[in-house]
Amino acid sequence: MTRTPGPLSDGRIVVTGIGAVTPVGTGRAELWASLLAGRSGFSPVRTFDTSRHTVHLGAEIHGFRPEDHVRTLRATRLGRASQLAIAAARLALADAGLDAERLDDPERAGVSMGTTSGEPLEIERFDDAVLAGDLERVGPEFIALYPCHVIAAHVAAELGFEGDNSMIPAACAAGNYAIAHAVDVLRGGRADLMLAGGADAFSRITYTGFARLGAIAPEVCQPFDRNRKGMIPGEGAGVVVLEPLARARARGAVIYAEVAGYGLSCDAHHMTAAHPEGDGSARAMRRALAESGLEPAAVDYISAHGTGTPTNDRLETIAVKRVFGDAARRVPISSVKSMLGHTMGAASAIEAAVCALVVANDVIPPTMNLVEPDPECDLDYVPNAPRERRVAVAMNNAYAFGGNNASLILKKCEAAV
Amino acid sequence: MSEMSRVSRRVVITGAGLLSSLGDDAAALHAALVAGESGIRPITIFPTAGLGCVQGGEIRDFDAAAYLGAERNVRPLDRLSRLVAAAAGRALAGAGWTPADLAGRPEGHEVGLVLGTMFCGLRTIAEFDRRNLTRGPSYASPLDFANTVINAAAGQTAIWHGLTGVNSTVAGGAASGLQAIAQGAELIRSGRADAVLAGGADELCFETFYGFYRAGQLCGSVPATSGGGEFPIPFDARRNGFALAEGAALVMLEEADAAAARGARVLAEVRGHGTAFDSSRGEDDARASRAVARAIAAALADAGVEADAVGFVSAAANGSVRGDRHEAAGLAAALGPRAAGVPAEVPVTAIKSMLGESLGAAAVLQVIDALETWRDGRLPGIPGLEPEPGLPLALAGHSRRAGGLALVDALGFDGVAAALLLGPGEEAR
Repeated sequence: MTRTPGPLSDGRIVVTGIGAVTPVGTGRAELWASLLAGRSGFSPVRTFDTSRHTVHLGAEIHGFRPEDHVRTLRATRLGRASQLAIAAARLALADAGLDAERLDDPERAGVSMGTTSGEPLEIERFDDAVLAGDLERVGPEFIALYPCHVIAAHVAAELGFEGDNSMIPAACAAGNYAIAHAVDVLRGGRADLMLAGGADAFSRITYTGFARLGAIAPEVCQPFDRNRKGMIPGEGAGVVVLEPLARARARGAVIYAEVAGYGLSCDAHHMTAAHPEGDGSARAMRRALAESGLEPAAVDYISAHGTGTPTNDRLETIAVKRVFGDAARRVPISSVKSMLGHTMGAASAIEAAVCALVVANDVIPPTMNLVEPDPECDLDYVPNAPRERRVAVAMNNAYAFGGNNASLILKKCEAAV
Repeated sequence: MSEMSRVSRRVVITGAGLLSSLGDDAAALHAALVAGESGIRPITIFPTAGLGCVQGGEIRDFDAAAYLGAERNVRPLDRLSRLVAAAAGRALAGAGWTPADLAGRPEGHEVGLVLGTMFCGLRTIAEFDRRNLTRGPSYASPLDFANTVINAAAGQTAIWHGLTGVNSTVAGGAASGLQAIAQGAELIRSGRADAVLAGGADELCFETFYGFYRAGQLCGSVPATSGGGEFPIPFDARRNGFALAEGAALVMLEEADAAAARGARVLAEVRGHGTAFDSSRGEDDARASRAVARAIAAALADAGVEADAVGFVSAAANGSVRGDRHEAAGLAAALGPRAAGVPAEVPVTAIKSMLGESLGAAAVLQVIDALETWRDGRLPGIPGLEPEPGLPLALAGHSRRAGGLALVDALGFDGVAAALLLGPGEEAR
């Protein structure tokens, strides 16, 4: 088994484009401005009736017009997650200064996407038909639109990307997983360009489940605050353009950050609750650091999973302390979920994009609504206001159902020695 | 990382576990396939009355306790997760991994799991949603909710067996299982893991069955070319769609030196893998075939061998009218004249003729049957085959002698093509 690295693969992979559709804005500039301004995207849920729930807030995207982004495929013949994903992918490509129609070799351009629920609105429509006793309403589009792999397939079909096409439904850590997979494809020389990210659509199934777990905050998402009551489920898509450094340099691309490494692990403990000592998440962080060749003290920023549930934020704090030791108190940590809500499979993709922007701009977005410190969450969470600080290395943490943990490290792209 | 990737690390298969409509034992499955026995029968787990298709490849009378033991509580696992945990247990045991071995792995060397699935627990998802709608949120169980995420079966199986390494789920339709093996192999090649359980699974449920039926993809859901009936026979002139099936199948992937050091039996070596995407998603015949050929070419290049090194082919063909044709053309393009039997034929089989289309499990069942083909020296045929005229492949209705490198092919439903090249292990050499 011999590796056949592509001519432009030097093992160093960089982020050269960012695209996002989020509850606080569409596109890199709007997202970044909102996060630095501390704007949040919460409002009463409109997608479905929440009257039988005790919580009613969501982080939905209002006014999204798929036809503004989808050009090749028919926008109306796509599920919402696919629409969001295509929009984010188009935005990321444009941000990278690339034109899908003018790629040198589309067969070496791939797509790697993550999700929690795929296209849940399609099975919800199916269920409505079953309950109405009217199965005739289920047409051929159900199987064409529902399976989650269509998100990656739709993005690739829209753009004509004919290389590696992967869908990684690793739930709420899926964005990091998808980026990690894309990095491996590029490092292995199996593509020259990858779009990687995550997407999820607002879903009554997801909302009901988290409501039943008591994990949804009734009024405000306030990660690491003593009175935090949960997350706010959301929707969105985040996509980054990844390519080998040599290729990016050759075409004069703007480089936001370089991928230093990643670490994946599994708690193998409980489906919905994290390991009580943060075992799996600590191993993912340590592995990411080892692969990046970095000591914990080199990390200048941690983008927390930070959902705002009492348990997550406490255990994440424990895990960071285990890995970082004394350095834990010096490293700024923030949760943009305090503004974006939890966009599920898109979350860690959007947060990875945020990490790239932090590294590029030396500004850290805040954890909003952090009013009363929690004695059990006693680190520096960058409360309520952005902070200017040189950030050479940023770590993006994401945790999911199934005990899936993923830590991704991005760093400033320095010239090769 | 860059240092690790320069080290040449070979990947071998040391164990396999499966549940299928033709049983749970690899050798018995292979014997049945060689004998031309079919697991495609009338479906019993949900009603098919009034539909033009009634057949499927069902795992009948699945008794989880027989695989997972009666002592532990299986209630948190839905049926699909139980199938995967059961197959995983078989693969681990077959490879000689005990629970103590798994628990004793040092950090950085934990055993991982990569699972391919198209739908994961769709039945659970739909039932959770409908219970919420009919009875209210308080009847929607958090235990069920845990199984509605698409990585549920991988998470549940990791919990059941204590697999604390990389845990990932890959969804690529009927190519999912092969994508999972490729991802698992890359985790080992790149030094991220020494041992990864990789495979795939999907279960039969009304939601997927009815969905495929309404889309005209199941045998019998559109009128057959020669009268009515269900003809899920790959590459057959009368084929009119596939028989939906279920299964769970996993193989133990290990770094070759580590496997040798622990005295593991080597069943096969993963020589290379490749994938490609057809952005017309099957609409353009030429591009669809070209994606199949590109995936195979990439797998051959990855292995550093030419097309004439391929000894036999296990095709993804399932009876789909267009998909089978795309695959045939792609195989012919990638393998050259030998595919059609000139000068020395490369025998091609399609075991979905007997197992049906088991989606995430499908390609992994092909892989496992390739291991048995080496042992036995015989490749299953395609029972009842009346080949579509002009297909450029060496097909047969009966079993034939076969050996050498195995090429396993997989096609997703939306443009993904994947190929895996396997070399025989020590016993079969």
